Amino acid sequence: MCVLALLEKSDSYGYDLAGSLARKVEVADGTVYPILRKLASEGVVSTYLQESQNGPPRKYYHLTDAGRNKLNAEREEWIKFCGEVNEILEGETGGKADE
Amino acid sequence: MNKTEYLTKLTNELGHMPYGDVKDIIGSIEEHFEEGMNEGRSEEEIAESLGDPKELAAEFKDGVKFKQIMKKRKMSDNFKGPDGRGRIFVVVFNAFVGIEMWLILLAAIVAAFMFLAGDAGIAGVIVAAIVMGKITEFLVPFIFLVLTLVCIAVFLVVLLILGIKYYIKGLKAYIRWNKNVWNYGLGED
Repeated sequence: MCVLALLEKSDSYGYDLAGSLARKVEVADGTVYPILRKLASEGVVSTYLQESQNGPPRKYYHLTDAGRNKLNAEREEWIKFCGEVNEILEGETGGKADE
Repeated sequence: MNKTEYLTKLTNELGHMPYGDVKDIIGSIEEHFEEGMNEGRSEEEIAESLGDPKELAAEFKDGVKFKQIMKKRKMSDNFKGPDGRGRIFVVVFNAFVGIEMWLILLAAIVAAFMFLAGDAGIAGVIVAAIVMGKITEFLVPFIFLVLTLVCIAVFLVVLLILGIKYYIKGLKAYIRWNKNVWNYGLGED
């Protein structure tokens, strides 16, 4: 889901995505590649090659319409879930002080 | 670990994945190395940040497993009882080709062991003769014979170790293949 959200803003390539993801979440840089592969096989991202100024052509990833739908659905679900968990946590700390 | 070492390790860990998939994966990781090196990072640094190649390979294989599960599910959706032709094929193939093939290979391994035992026996006799000080003119050609045999034996031992390893590997794959044909048919249609 995080990878999809990163791709929502703009198309990107593996190295850049790995960097953005690893900066925010504590994961190894490599982790992004199996995720991208899986997303590509599900058809929620598509790939294309684009020349870069220096070095080899980069494989860019693009969020497809199916991917956009999936992201929106998952985002909604996640926000709802977090809201419920927060309610429980706040209810416990603000409520009875027996434990 | 440098780039080549990392990619080699990753390739090895990916193991039985189809060639096209491995090529694709290695390509994207290679691209990652090149991008990082363009930024002035060292190969070792990039390899370190990519994480353990073994774990990365496992994550890639999870994706493949997912694909295989989907494929299997699709197969079992079309699956209307055991495929009679597949089972007949397994029985006939094993009776006439499969089992014979594995028996012949097993016999070759046993024969090699017997040769080694015989070799050791002859060598023992000669050594015993030398130790007892009974070196005669008659023995000299035999010593050369034994030296030759020892060379052959060493070669054979190496061959046997490799042979047994691949025999077990091959046998396992063969049994798996039989099971697949038995359960899912020949998969022609």
